[in-house]
Amino acid sequence: MVTRCQFLFAVLCVLVCANAHAQSEEDYYRLIDVSVAETLSQSRAKNWKPAPDGLALEVSGIAILDGNRIAVAIRKGEVWILDGVYDNPPKDVTYHRFATALHEPLGLLAHNGSLYTVQRTEMTRLTDTDGDDVADEYVTVAKGWGVTGHYHEYAYGPELDGEGNLWLTLNIGLGLQGEHLKRTIQEPTLGYRQGRWRGWGMKVTPDGKLVPVCAGMRSPAGIGANAEGDMFYTDQQGNWVATNSLHHMRDGVMFHHAEALASMNEPGSTIHEVKEVPNGLPLPQALEKFPQLRPPAVWFPYKKMGQSATDIVLDASEGKFGPFAGQLFVGEFTQAGINRVFLEKVDGEYQGACFPFRTGMATAVLRLEQGHDGSLFAGLTNRGWSSLGSASYGLQRLQWTGKTPFEILEMRAQPDGFELTFTEPVDKKSAEDLSSYQLSSYTYLYHETYGSDEIQSRDLTMTSAKLSDDGLSVHLKVDGLRPLFVHELHANGVRSRDGNPLLHPQAYYTLNRIPAATNP
Amino acid sequence: MTKFKWLIALCVSVFIASPALAEIPFVSGFERFGRHEEIADRTAGQLLLSELNCTSCHKTNDPLIQPKGGPNLAGAGNRLQREWMLRFLMNPQQTKPGTTMPGILDRLYPEQQLGAAVALSAYLETLEQPFPEIRATGANPVLFEFWNRGDAARGKALYHQIGCVACHEPSEDYEVVAVKPSPLDELLEQLDPDELKEMGLSAAARKVQSIPHSNLAEKYTRQSLTHFLLKPDAVRPDGRMPDFQLTAVDAADISEFLITKYSEGQRIEAPPATAELVAEGRKLFEEFGCVNCHNVKGIATHPAKPLAELAVDAENSCVSSRLGNQPRYVLDEQQTHAIRAAFAPAGTTAKPDALHSNMLKLNCFACHERGGQGGVGRYRRPYFETLGHVDIGDEGRLPPTLSGVGAKLNEKWLTSVLQGKGRVRPHMTIRMPVFPATMTKSLPSQFAAADELASPKPSAEVFAKLDEKSALEAGRLLMDVGCVQCHEFNGETLPGTVGVDLLGVADRIDPQWFHDFLRNPADLKPRTRMPTFFPDGKSANQQILGGDMELQIAAMWAYIKNLSKQPLPQKIADARSQNYELTPLGKPVVLRTFMPEAGTHAIAVGFPQKVHFALDAETVRLAQGWRGRFLDAEGTWFMRFAPPADPLGNEVLNLSAGPDFAVLTRPEAKWPVAAEEAGIQFQGYRLDAEGVPTFEYDVGGWRIADRIVPNESNGLTRTLTLTRVGSEASSQVFYRVLAGNGLKQLGPNKCQLGAGVVVTSSTAGELRDGNGHHEWLIPLGSAIGNGTETRVEVEYQW
Repeated sequence: MVTRCQFLFAVLCVLVCANAHAQSEEDYYRLIDVSVAETLSQSRAKNWKPAPDGLALEVSGIAILDGNRIAVAIRKGEVWILDGVYDNPPKDVTYHRFATALHEPLGLLAHNGSLYTVQRTEMTRLTDTDGDDVADEYVTVAKGWGVTGHYHEYAYGPELDGEGNLWLTLNIGLGLQGEHLKRTIQEPTLGYRQGRWRGWGMKVTPDGKLVPVCAGMRSPAGIGANAEGDMFYTDQQGNWVATNSLHHMRDGVMFHHAEALASMNEPGSTIHEVKEVPNGLPLPQALEKFPQLRPPAVWFPYKKMGQSATDIVLDASEGKFGPFAGQLFVGEFTQAGINRVFLEKVDGEYQGACFPFRTGMATAVLRLEQGHDGSLFAGLTNRGWSSLGSASYGLQRLQWTGKTPFEILEMRAQPDGFELTFTEPVDKKSAEDLSSYQLSSYTYLYHETYGSDEIQSRDLTMTSAKLSDDGLSVHLKVDGLRPLFVHELHANGVRSRDGNPLLHPQAYYTLNRIPAATNP
Repeated sequence: MTKFKWLIALCVSVFIASPALAEIPFVSGFERFGRHEEIADRTAGQLLLSELNCTSCHKTNDPLIQPKGGPNLAGAGNRLQREWMLRFLMNPQQTKPGTTMPGILDRLYPEQQLGAAVALSAYLETLEQPFPEIRATGANPVLFEFWNRGDAARGKALYHQIGCVACHEPSEDYEVVAVKPSPLDELLEQLDPDELKEMGLSAAARKVQSIPHSNLAEKYTRQSLTHFLLKPDAVRPDGRMPDFQLTAVDAADISEFLITKYSEGQRIEAPPATAELVAEGRKLFEEFGCVNCHNVKGIATHPAKPLAELAVDAENSCVSSRLGNQPRYVLDEQQTHAIRAAFAPAGTTAKPDALHSNMLKLNCFACHERGGQGGVGRYRRPYFETLGHVDIGDEGRLPPTLSGVGAKLNEKWLTSVLQGKGRVRPHMTIRMPVFPATMTKSLPSQFAAADELASPKPSAEVFAKLDEKSALEAGRLLMDVGCVQCHEFNGETLPGTVGVDLLGVADRIDPQWFHDFLRNPADLKPRTRMPTFFPDGKSANQQILGGDMELQIAAMWAYIKNLSKQPLPQKIADARSQNYELTPLGKPVVLRTFMPEAGTHAIAVGFPQKVHFALDAETVRLAQGWRGRFLDAEGTWFMRFAPPADPLGNEVLNLSAGPDFAVLTRPEAKWPVAAEEAGIQFQGYRLDAEGVPTFEYDVGGWRIADRIVPNESNGLTRTLTLTRVGSEASSQVFYRVLAGNGLKQLGPNKCQLGAGVVVTSSTAGELRDGNGHHEWLIPLGSAIGNGTETRVEVEYQW
């Protein structure tokens, strides 16, 4: 029955190693709870109640003030000034109410001696004129967008760009019914019906004019400028939106959500004459049929890079927050984390890669702002949706420990592949070993259905990996790059010179354009 | 390496490395009850026949002893580690203590066994099945490769809180939050064994043994254990390990905890599988009849002699000796005694109890007591807590008794509970898991039959007759007598209270049971914290419904049945409004919100004088005035769907739609509908030292400052201050004070709408015909003349 030759093998005794994870994000970026609270209610409970004690610090806006102070907007409609927030542990933080009676403000900006916020119905300037540290002026800076009364019509902002414009973004309404419909406008050709400017990005110019800029947003919960002062927003997966995304906002551009075209014929619209919207095509083909449509600068592949992208913050700390100066960090709601984005311009358009950065926040991250010391303040609230983390709302601060994580710092498109730059020199053998890398590419469907699977997926072959002399960069030659496809890299085999694997070996590059080869 | 050396290595790794453990199968119901003669020997034996899968090979028609079956081996290849399978096949009990898997290789000569195990494990490794994709949605966070990202500390907390330790062993270093011991526990502590026996409390005092864990790190990968926890019945359709409906992240956390904790011992490495080995393994798999218990597609079963034909007392019977070509069951004396009893002719008194048998098999008793048997074991109780550590006694933290449950809950509800759709105790950390429907579908009717609720009495026959209106009113009042102290009402409670929500009680509870329970709770539920409101059949409250117990119970049923459409009990409504009702004291209170009348740009201002108004900042108009209570802010502050806020007070004045101010190019021009058309822009407001907002609008080159406050006659006085801001301020700015049908001018400065609101202005107004109605306009432009500032004061009385 069992022959003797089958016994000719060795059986080794191997100690099962304690399954500890070798490195953790916490070693490099530590979280400090300024204030977090857990409620007895589920985040989606109909009768949600805040924790019985203390302030319902559902932070929906953060403005950095002087000294040890920051101002935060909270969802119930107030602005508070917090002092002592940089202390570690922050045990003596004081809270002072600055403004009340705001209708779900979803942003806060300190600007020209006032605080600016965007409420559901208007952008408002809050000013204390009599020196008691309490706002007495609630001046309407801009209004005029449609508010049908549907809960999903959030309004976000403001954020300041390099030219002094204040930006805001407007959610699309979902499944409008009854009373809501009375407050909509309808575009006759396409038939879409929404509140005015719903699904648009708008700016208020320094002379106070509200100007529509670009359209097609579904749930643009994050706005932020990069180091050049160009303005970006994030969108969240849903109808017309294949997965979460980061976009450069500029004139006349359409992003995803077709119902934003309900405002196409309004005075001031920057998008005209869309006669037909392709529905159900792969993105590259949809872009051909829909000239106003632009791909995002970065896709965040669903699940792998979060489930609901939120705020955008530039690391302007010049090194105080670690090795990522000049890059963008993007909040993640559902998975309670923060992702990182590297952008470059190819043929004048932004594109780039995203990388996991930090998970394990106390709950959903809605707002991010950088403090004077480079640390990131994260405004948290998960009410109405779901998220990881045990808390329901609060404020946390993420501080660099001073240790440099071994990470892919940059991923740049090349005519023949990609160039990876690392945060520290890499081991040559592992870096030049092709089996250290796995690369695949895919795109998405542009359609009105909720989200899209990754389609036309393909594994790519790398033909060479060459390490630079300084040991910091690897040039990967790749066969079969496809424009407008996400290129997903796993560099699991790469080791630092100390033999460490990458803290996050994944990178997702949105290759809208392949750079042309330049003659040497 | 020679065969000899290799065998030494095997001995080290397979036999010596394992700690000494009981080498008999662990069947929960048998260990807890059978071993202590708390169930009949025959019942215990039948349980073993089923749980040890005797009847997988020895078929029988007896529904009570159908085999539980073994794990589904489809996917064994990526679910289980080959090395572990090898070791497990060689010695099931030492590899997985307590397993019901018999020694399948014992039929072979010792020197053949290892080769067979190697071949079988090689074959099983080829049985691959991809892990299911866990769909991430907005409601279900799923991290990338979540199984690798578990948090052991969180997993440990979940493991101890959600119910795993009702059956499995708690961790010795897990710290329990101090829970007040229940009266029973206190009693058990004080009694000695004889006293316990005398009082029939021996079982309650006894430590309940745990279903052992094996070396999980050796058996599973992080991915496979996480997926097993997510959907245990995919692997074990017998439901002995139920489905806790974990999220991906919860499962990964528990898996991380288990894999880190149960990783002791050494691991062996198996040789690479060759095609030859796989074929050999498959052949053995067929030959040994593994498929009788482990369903694998394409392999035929091997029935053995039917159960009825077995001679349990024969010398070569498996319970007597270890002879012949059969799997090896290592049983102790009590177990073989029980199995023999199961073969004995049924006595006349022993009537088959399918419900009891099901509860033993599924180990319902691990959590639930029924008929004095079972319930969470003595030393396990402290792990289960009430959310927020609110003290509502054991009923608030331990699973409910099932004694009489068939008379309490209707079958439809029981079915939902068993399907995981009826979680009425979200305030407990322990959760009711879901069992496979095939295993539980007969339970609701079995409970109903056993507890004599086969034909429930309709509520009309149970409760005293009472007209609906007085029933609802009285029922609501009665709730405040005590119910509100411990129960939720449609999601609302008194502060700090958690408890079963009474919403839906009428859909799940039998009317007669409700009636009897309210009459005297302790009759149906010994030691309940629910007090009686009718001591000696007399109501504690003689004011309501004449103190008639029957009428009061009927009223409570009526109110609870209609709870979703009824106002909350007063005490809860009061507590809610303390948190969310805005009551201006000292200073005015402002709330921006959605309002049905004032629209989506409403700014409501409430005053301590109890006269309030709402401004529509979109159209720019005074939209509403009212007296009494102001507004409830809960919907605005905390409700996801942002419901509009209605004035809470009364004497509501609704003013006409359309802007209050407009530039009219011709005096007869139609009054505009929207602010844009009127040429007016809302500019925000300023708060003065009293906290009163002054609204500002720009219209026709003028800035209008608008301050509205209560006046001495409980109306509103509106003061408009106009300032020239533009170089070309228009003289054609009008203020439309009132519009509607039946408008009467009562004097140059006074006007009334029907029999309602009267306005009096410091500046004369003019009545004109609007489009099918009347309008009273004040020509602000001409009032201003050439000045740079002017004031107009208007009183609204209603």
